[in-house]
Amino acid sequence: MTKTLEIEGKTIDKAIETACHEFGVPREKLNIEIISEGTAGFFGLGSKKAKIKASLLTFDVDLGLSFDKPEKPARQRTVRKEEPRVSSPAVHDIAVKAQKLLEGILQRMSVNARVAIQETPDSILLIIEGNDNGLLIGKRGQTLDALQYLVNKAVNRQEKDRKQIIIDTEDYRRKREESLVALAEKLAQKAKRTRKAITVSNMNARERRIIHLALQGDESLTTKSRGEGSYRTIIIQPSKKK
Amino acid sequence: MKDLIKYIAQALVDNPDKVEVSEVHGEQTSVMELRVAKEDLGKVIGKQGKTAKAMRTILSAASAKVHKRTVLEIIE
Repeated sequence: MTKTLEIEGKTIDKAIETACHEFGVPREKLNIEIISEGTAGFFGLGSKKAKIKASLLTFDVDLGLSFDKPEKPARQRTVRKEEPRVSSPAVHDIAVKAQKLLEGILQRMSVNARVAIQETPDSILLIIEGNDNGLLIGKRGQTLDALQYLVNKAVNRQEKDRKQIIIDTEDYRRKREESLVALAEKLAQKAKRTRKAITVSNMNARERRIIHLALQGDESLTTKSRGEGSYRTIIIQPSKKK
Repeated sequence: MKDLIKYIAQALVDNPDKVEVSEVHGEQTSVMELRVAKEDLGKVIGKQGKTAKAMRTILSAASAKVHKRTVLEIIE
């Protein structure tokens, strides 16, 4: 039952194809182990054949394996190699460090608040839970942004793999995004009605991004940013008619 | 308040033991003077003063809570 064949081919895919042919079953029914990936060489010089070990998959083999292994073996292998298993505990360490730092700052601002952590695959979300939220958000969220900027800077200073830290309170970020989208739509209407470009200044990169994304689906408008640094403004203008 | 700036600055620099903050109290407005090691000066100021600005924003928020004004000066 568990017959194993060693098969060589120009590439791994070719070798797998041969294996399928040999066993007379589709890829999914084969258990494939890569022995060497092979190299293309240069004009056929110094090329090495790819070598795989193939056997029929029996049902006691884990199904997950049967699905992802034969599909794209070459990629699977490299992905596994590059992905360090330490990544998630390390992320957790960064999150805890950021939380401690933020709590330290809040305490010294005489703000009585708790900081909760939420980890997502590409960012760390710190949520401030307390009574002084208005003070912490500040005008247009500037205090919240300042806290976020400093915590990011301090925490990512020593870390090799940077993690984006987002600080939020009372769902402010989401509400702000909603109001920006509403603003974008209002301005879009105005731009269309007047056939003139509208410039909006005093927005940070994240806020501009929300505007760009909100209007990117609208064919009759174009959005772009102009200027440098804090003078950068976003322009909403009607597209030129063809 | 002094503690706040010291704490933030120490988190940003390479030489936390060289961070010094002194406060000159005024009736309504206080001045906070921050001193750091020479090589850390850039770290507390940041690109186009972004870090300094963030610290000032936080300081303002903290001062507002006690109905005061505080100015942050970074001393070279």
